[in-house]
Amino acid sequence: MRGYLGIDVGSVSTNLVMLTEDDEVAASVYRRTRGQPIVAVQDGLQELATQLPEDVEVAGAGTTGSARSLSGVIVGADIVKNEITAHAIAAKHVVPDVRTVLEIGGQDSKVILLRDGVVIDFAMNTVCAAGTGSFLDHQSARLGIPIEEFGGYALKSEAATQIAGRCSVFAESDMVHKQQIGHRLEDIIYGLCKALVRNYLNNLAKGSELAAPLVFQGGVAANAGMKRAFEEALGEAIVIPEHFNVMGAIGAALLAKASMAGGRRTSFKGFCVSDLVYDTSNFTCKGCANTCEIVKISIEGEVLARWGSRCGKWEVEERVSAAKA
Amino acid sequence: MLGRVTERETRPMRPTIGLPQALVYHKYFPLWGEFFSYLGADVAVSGPTDKRVLNAGLEAADSELCLPVKLFFGHVLELAQQVDFVFVPRIVAVEGDAFTCPKLLGLPDMIGALGERAPSLLSETFNMKRGMRDFYKSVYKVGSVCTDSSIKVYRAWRSGLRAQADYERQLLGGVTPLDVLGQGIPEKEPDLTIGVVGHAYNVYDRHLSMDLINRLRKSGGRVVTGEMLPPKVIERELQRLPKRLFWSYEKEVVGSAFHFIHTGDVDGIIFLLSFACGPDSLTQVLIEHEARKTSKTPMMSLVVDEHSGEAGMATRVEAFVDMLRWQKGRVC
Amino acid sequence: MRASFPHMGNIHLLMSDLLERLEVEYIVAPPTTTKTLEIGVRHAPEFACLPLKITVGNFIEALDTGADTLLMAGGTGPCRFGYYAETQKRVMEQIGLDFSMVTFESPAAHPAMFVKAFKTIAPDKSVLQVWRALKTSFAKGRCFDLLEKRLLQLRAYEVAPGSTTAAYEAGLELMSKAKSREQIDAAYAEALALLDEVPLDREREVLKIGIVGEFYMLLEPFVNFGVERWLNEHDVYLERSVYLTDWIGPSRRNPVLGVSDADVGRLAHGYLSHHVGGEGQATIGHTMKYIEEGFDGIVHLLPFTCMPETIAKTIFPRLARDMDIPVLSFVIDEQTGKAGVITRLEAFLDLLWSRRRAKGGVRELVAS
Repeated sequence: MRGYLGIDVGSVSTNLVMLTEDDEVAASVYRRTRGQPIVAVQDGLQELATQLPEDVEVAGAGTTGSARSLSGVIVGADIVKNEITAHAIAAKHVVPDVRTVLEIGGQDSKVILLRDGVVIDFAMNTVCAAGTGSFLDHQSARLGIPIEEFGGYALKSEAATQIAGRCSVFAESDMVHKQQIGHRLEDIIYGLCKALVRNYLNNLAKGSELAAPLVFQGGVAANAGMKRAFEEALGEAIVIPEHFNVMGAIGAALLAKASMAGGRRTSFKGFCVSDLVYDTSNFTCKGCANTCEIVKISIEGEVLARWGSRCGKWEVEERVSAAKA
Repeated sequence: MLGRVTERETRPMRPTIGLPQALVYHKYFPLWGEFFSYLGADVAVSGPTDKRVLNAGLEAADSELCLPVKLFFGHVLELAQQVDFVFVPRIVAVEGDAFTCPKLLGLPDMIGALGERAPSLLSETFNMKRGMRDFYKSVYKVGSVCTDSSIKVYRAWRSGLRAQADYERQLLGGVTPLDVLGQGIPEKEPDLTIGVVGHAYNVYDRHLSMDLINRLRKSGGRVVTGEMLPPKVIERELQRLPKRLFWSYEKEVVGSAFHFIHTGDVDGIIFLLSFACGPDSLTQVLIEHEARKTSKTPMMSLVVDEHSGEAGMATRVEAFVDMLRWQKGRVC
Repeated sequence: MRASFPHMGNIHLLMSDLLERLEVEYIVAPPTTTKTLEIGVRHAPEFACLPLKITVGNFIEALDTGADTLLMAGGTGPCRFGYYAETQKRVMEQIGLDFSMVTFESPAAHPAMFVKAFKTIAPDKSVLQVWRALKTSFAKGRCFDLLEKRLLQLRAYEVAPGSTTAAYEAGLELMSKAKSREQIDAAYAEALALLDEVPLDREREVLKIGIVGEFYMLLEPFVNFGVERWLNEHDVYLERSVYLTDWIGPSRRNPVLGVSDADVGRLAHGYLSHHVGGEGQATIGHTMKYIEEGFDGIVHLLPFTCMPETIAKTIFPRLARDMDIPVLSFVIDEQTGKAGVITRLEAFLDLLWSRRRAKGGVRELVAS
């Protein structure tokens, strides 16, 4: 089979997919990044390979996510794209007339508005932890309920507890308080979902019209409580795509396919990159008081990429970006 | 296109005019309430801030605005369905050499940006920098939604000013706006005097301040505030600054804080400010610097925003009051 | 006495020129770096806006390198900037620093104070001498601005990456050395020629973006992560709503921008019908102008809690909808990271190219 590889490396999770020529998901991997994006990509590729037939031929590769440049260098990507565009393209692929994409991942959340198939606006929140997957994970650990069961609890709630969810620190202390005065667990959990949705809408969607069809994707879409809270807040049904947690990677694969349309040869380096030893080192540039931390990625003594300086003097990067036509 | 001002032909005979109970309300409600009533309008005041108003404001206003402005949004939306116009003046300057605050200068435009959700606004610019005549012109324009008679507007204005003067006299006599509005509780054999400084829209909004005034009274405090100080005193205190402040309401905050800091008339000072308040962010430095330099009277700054929890605030206020008593050698 | 002043874009070139003319001994503070930011954040009030914090950092670093007199601009409000100097002075006194501060109030509002400030730093110079020095330095500053404006217009078309920036920097160097009016004019002509000689690809399809917002955020590349250069190098033609000499005045005609304050007010009318201090109304007014001129999008930069710009930000969603123009606001504080800014910018450019294509442009989102 011929296929297109998409890789989305965020700070919390790393997702890989292989799309067939017919844009079907042939294989997908969702795993934790654990602060080691290179290892995550290497292991992820290996895991992906086990799900694929032996005759697989990668015709193109794309990367996205906050480590898009790094993973692009590692695998030899044909296209490196920001995650907003990647998510929009994936959502449009699943629901062609989608007008609103709600995305909540491990470390950030986004809202993307499309009209007539074109992105017309977006917002992204990377500063505030409230409303991200990490925060929900943390709360599930604190309450001693596996995150997978969170949604089930939320659905059982009949009267959600009011939680001040505008900030993760305050939400947590408020939840503790509500527990101490005897609120039911399911009401607290659903109250938390509602607070996170309110927080999301206030921070990201101010003044914008969230029109249906709405697609909810990202790891947090697994949580049925969040879906319920969104539907209640917006008064619209919400679509959760089958592969909601790897949509960024699907977008990257679709972009890779589009970028190969002219019959270009892929620069994908092959599944063997899993076995190569990449050497990353960092040093502090003493050129000025910015004392930037420069990261260097090399293989067998050859520098593949270098970045991290404010002024750009150390930047060496294979120009894989197709952002420039 | 925004900040729609009434057209004469659409003028209702007896308009209902909404006054949001936020921002300058606590300062000027007798003036405008009397002005509009005299002109025969029905005056509708939004209820005191509650959770619903707060949530409406948070939902509608930009998240980077300060809490009192967000609350103003909430109050305007609450009035939107009930009234013909919501009165949202653009108060640029109330004296010749100072502004109010940028957000008051841009208030009608920010409300207008709500689009279809914005009610019809009754909005005129009040700018004392342009002199009394210009100021009166705006008064007439506002009055013209109720009457064509300029003499009636003039009389309404005089009547409003009398009500305002009466109100300010009451405040100077030692009561707070809360007491005038019937939202204050009586003092309870106070054994401590606490100076509360901060913008009226922070201090007297019981939801935003988490009922600071009544809370202090309940715990045996007598509360004194900037409104109880004659303008002369405020002005004298401001002479301590090498450069004049260019925000009128901020001058009252700083002047009263300096007064309490220097006279030692109070046992402790609480400075209530809202996060994201531009002027307060700088005057906090001036006030805390002065308090530290003088070190006569203990002072606590309380910064509130929509994240603030009541429990945390209650604990801090309680602890502060306890410490003041402890220092006076009393058991708390 | 050894004077120093805070950084903001090219202001050190202008200030050095002026202080040399007045024969005032001065030092240029170390360039703004993350260390400056850290120092500022540590000492400045937590809730103050970012420019106040960073300039406190500049002052402290200047004192560390031998300055004893700090020069700062004043103001009459209602933007907080007018009270920066007073606040900063207290902040630095509180940590025990020994210095004197000279504040230059607006010559229009407080002419006597303005003159007095010059008497303090250059007691031997007559008012006439000061006035002449100001005029000449100002004329030079205007040339710096015009060069910068040209840079933002040309760089998107450069054939070799970095060539326009290099030519611009060489031009600044030339200009800095010029003393007399004749020399300034000649250096300016030469600098302009350097820029115009850079090989360009005029066929390149570029986006047109107007960059608006608070002046410090626009002028200081350290705080805006060099967003202008980044945009230019990603095929974006830029116009900016603030230039240094227009900002310092004294005219309200803004010769560098070519739009008067009155025109800006007229353009903003209906969305922001009154000035709100700072550049709040200019942000809206210039946006309207860029829309009239058919720009593809607007990038808006503001410090966290900035009052005038937060007002503009509140108005933008409605304006953007009415006028069908994409606006991207960046609220910047000490915690803002470059990666997040770049991701949003990339997505914004994708968005603008898609719109362009929907309107019949040719460039595809994905190169083939």
